[in-house]
Formats: sequence, structure tokens, C-alpha cells
Amino acid sequence: MTLQKKNLRRQNGRAVQRAIRRRRQIKPYLYLVPIIFFAIAFVYYPFGKTFLYSFCTVNAKGQITGFAGWENFAYLFQHRNFKIALLNTLKLTAMFVPLNLCVSLGLALLCNQKRRLSGVYETMFTLPMAVPMSAAAMIFKILFNPTVGYINYFLGIQLGWFEDRKVAMYGILILCLWMGMAFDFLLFLSALRAVPDQLLEAASLDGAGFFTKLFRIRIPMIMPTALYVICTNMVLSMMTSGPVMIITEGGPSRATTTLIYMMYTSGYQSSDYSLAACISIVTFLLTFGMTALALVFDSRRTCYE
Amino acid sequence: MTKKAKKRTADLSVTITALILGCIIVFPVIYCIFGAFKTRVEFGSYPPAFLPDSFANLDNFKEALDKTPLLRYMFNSLIVACLGTAVRMTFSVLAAYSFAFFDFKGKKFLFLVVLATMMLPGDTLMVTNYLTVSRLNLLDTYLGMCITSFVGASQMFMLRQNFRTIPRALRDAARLDGCSDLRFLRSVVLPVSRPVLLTLCVQSFINLWNAYLWPLLVTNRDEMRTVQVGVTMLTAVGNTNYHLILAAVTLTLLPSFGMFIILRKNIVKGMTSGALVG
Repeated sequence: MTLQKKNLRRQNGRAVQRAIRRRRQIKPYLYLVPIIFFAIAFVYYPFGKTFLYSFCTVNAKGQITGFAGWENFAYLFQHRNFKIALLNTLKLTAMFVPLNLCVSLGLALLCNQKRRLSGVYETMFTLPMAVPMSAAAMIFKILFNPTVGYINYFLGIQLGWFEDRKVAMYGILILCLWMGMAFDFLLFLSALRAVPDQLLEAASLDGAGFFTKLFRIRIPMIMPTALYVICTNMVLSMMTSGPVMIITEGGPSRATTTLIYMMYTSGYQSSDYSLAACISIVTFLLTFGMTALALVFDSRRTCYE
Repeated sequence: MTKKAKKRTADLSVTITALILGCIIVFPVIYCIFGAFKTRVEFGSYPPAFLPDSFANLDNFKEALDKTPLLRYMFNSLIVACLGTAVRMTFSVLAAYSFAFFDFKGKKFLFLVVLATMMLPGDTLMVTNYLTVSRLNLLDTYLGMCITSFVGASQMFMLRQNFRTIPRALRDAARLDGCSDLRFLRSVVLPVSRPVLLTLCVQSFINLWNAYLWPLLVTNRDEMRTVQVGVTMLTAVGNTNYHLILAAVTLTLLPSFGMFIILRKNIVKGMTSGALVG
């Protein structure tokens, strides 16, 4: 073999090696292409576009026709329906988050200790999780119906739960609580059962009663879970729209119109895309702000590990 | 009273309270199932009875199935949930494998890009996504109904956590023996993480099965509706046909309850573990 041929072969070998190395470098990215592509196409692109739409005038086909600056937002903040929807949503969130926390934590405390029938009632408490939102909404619509429904008869009252302007939101609230409780109950239950026994026993020996143990040991120990529950529930209730859509359609006289429902009606039914984009941005910022606030509040807290 | 007796009475009272609360919570579901057996006359009478006259009355179910394409709705839901879950899981597995076994430039950044999708709630992006999907001519198609849920950031995260427990040396050894990455993924990584995969699949399936808003937006033709959307359109059989509506709702609850009972442990585990990393 001549020297020339040897050199050639060595060069070829290097080229092959380089190719292999390049392929190895590209490979990790190839695995990521699908998820990144869809993340951009259906999360980041629409988010950017929503942002853009909120500052532009948009025609009914979804094409941008001009720049509007802050006008869309100015129009939105003057909109009568928007004020109502904003207040309704905030009211619902302000009621839903603490109530849900109390109910699910209360149920979890009740079930904390394992008893003979705990399997039975734990299953009962988690059953609403198996009911899809639309089915639950249909059941509640009939159950709370003033004429054929069972609730009014059972409580001995005459109340148009979803027809009366003053109570309609509470009807929606009850439905949301019923749907949301089960999952949070499970989270709290597993957190409570993870609290080390020796802590509680030591406290008992020192003469701590039930409430001392609850507020001094159990609740501080499950704070991370509680924070998670609070954050997800804030997002969840700010996004409430399904039950409203199915049961009341925003009525009676806009008493149950929520932000996302208003976004749906203005974007999808009236094709006012810039208004819908504005509502979406406002909702997003509000939700984001609330979650950030909860996290900042949490970071000041001492950590128990 | 001795200490033991005291504890027993406390236990008993807690159990009874819990059972009563449990009955209240389960009540709407029971009401729905009982209502499905009632006749129109029973619904019209006052005071409303809780129990139906007889449980042998299956006419409501027959009529509900006759008057509405309920089975078609369920079939659509099944297709959408399966397709969405399959694609979402495939994407998540590939991405998780890459994040767990490779070192490359921009890894942290890309990881954040995927995870941050959790911060943007899908509901606020609905209107723009609707425009995209309609421009792609995907309205009234199965693909259109699940295309927005192909990115599963939480699934990807869970899988990556799981894949990281597999030693990298194993992959290096496999590669020296001429085993390609895809083959290693297929014959080592996936079988090892079967429990997590199953849990995540179940969770994702239920998620898509229960979806309401998005399928409502992208379907206009009746035969393409999913069961969650279809069930709310039952006013078509008459707004006051409560017995038929409840019968149809009961029928749609059957698969959900079936899944819940069979996979309860998996669902609970998946939800709690998935939640606590968030």
C-alpha cells in the first residue's frame, strides 16, 4: 500500500468519524423536534398572536387590518359587560379558593386515621372525580331545578337556583366545589398521612391537644401541598367557563358571565377577535399575578423538612 | 368510661359523620341514576320522589339511544382520547429520553421551553388556536380535536424523572454492543418504566375523554361531537324530557365509572405524583 492510499484512507476515516460525531450531536435535538414544534405552534405562537391581536384591529376572518395601540384595552375597560364579568370571576375565585381549601382539608382530617370503613367513605369522597364536568353540570341543572328538582323540595325552599340573579353564582359555586373537592381531598390526605408519627406522639406526651397538634404540627407540615392546591384552584376558578356555558349561558342578566365565557362569546360568536384577545391577556395577567403573589408569600415562610 | 371505650365512641362518631357526608357528596350521582329509571309522569308529580317506582323500567335508555347518536358520540370520544394519548405519550417519551440520556447545548433552555407551556392556560389561547385549526382545515376532524393537546409537559417531566433512575452506563454499554438509541429505548427503557407509563396514559386518556370546551369549539357537525359535548346538547330531545336526559347522562357515566373503578389506584397515584412536582 502506498503512502498516498494510506493518507486517503485516513482522511476518509476522519470524514466518517466526523459525520458520526455530527449525527450524534444532532440526535438529541431530533428527539425534541416534535414536542418543541407543537409547543411553539399551539402554545407560544397563539400566545404571541393573542398579544398582537390585543393591540391591533382584526377583521372577522382573523386578519390584522391595522394597529390600534391601547384603544382595544380602553374600549374593554369601558365595556359594561367586562366590569360585570371581571367582578363575577373575582367573586367566584374569592369564594371558591378558601371554601374548597376548608372543605377538602376538613374531609382529609376526618379520614386521616384509618378505620374499619375508611375505604368506603374515602371512595365516596373521591367519586365526583369520575364524573366529567359536562355530565355533572347536566345533573346539577336538573337537581337544582325549581319545579322538578329535589334540592328545593328537600330543603323546603322556593329558590330558582340558576334563574335568580342573586343566587345563580352560588349555584355555580356549589357545582365547582363538588367537582373540585375530590382531587384536593386526595392530595391533603396523602400529605397528612406523610406527617411523621413520632412528632405527633411527642407532642401528645407534652400534653398538646388536638387543635395544638393541628395548628402547630399538621398544618405547617402540609403547607407545600396547601400552596399547590391554592395556586391550582386560583387558576381553575379564574378559568371557569364550562358550567356557565352549559347551565346558565352567562345569565340571568349576565349574573354568571365569567371572563372566559365573555371571551368565548365575543371571540367565537361575534368574531371580535381583538376584544377576545384583550380579555384573554387580562385574564392571563390576573391569574399569573395571583399565582406569583402566592409564591412570593410562600417564600417568606419557614420551611419544615 | 375507660380510655378504650372513649376511643371507640370517637371512632364510631367519626365514621358515622364521614358516611353521612359521603352520602351527601354521592347524592347527585345516585339521583341521576335513579332518575334514569323514572317515567315522565313520575317527574311531573309533586312531591318529587327520590326512588323510582321500579328499576325494571329500561325504556328511557332505549329511547335515549334511539333519539340521540349517543354511541356515535362515545366512539368519537374514544378515538380522540386514544389518538391524543398515543401522540402525546410518544412525543413525551422521545423528549424525556433526550433530556435524560444526552448532553447537548441549550438543554436547560429547551427543557424550560417545554415546561413553561404549563404556565400558559389553554383556555386563554383557545380563540387563536381555533383560528389556526380552522385555517388548517381541521374543523370537524379527529386530528383537530386533539391537536392542541399533543404537548404534555407534565408527562414529559414525570418520564424524565423516571428515566434518570436508569444508569447511563447501561446505555453506553448497550451502544458499544451496537444497540441503537431507539432500540435501547424500546427494549430497555420502556419496559423498565411500565408502571409510570401506564399511569400517565390513564391520566392523559381521562383528561382527553373529559375535555369539553375545545371539542365544542372545533366541531359543528353533529356526528363529530364527543360525548361530553353531545350530552349537553340533549335538549334536542326536548327541554323537559328530564327522564331521557338523565338516562343519557347515566349511560355516558358508565365508561367513566368503569375506568374509575378499575384504574382507581393508578389514577390516584398519577394525579397526586403528577401534582406534587408541579
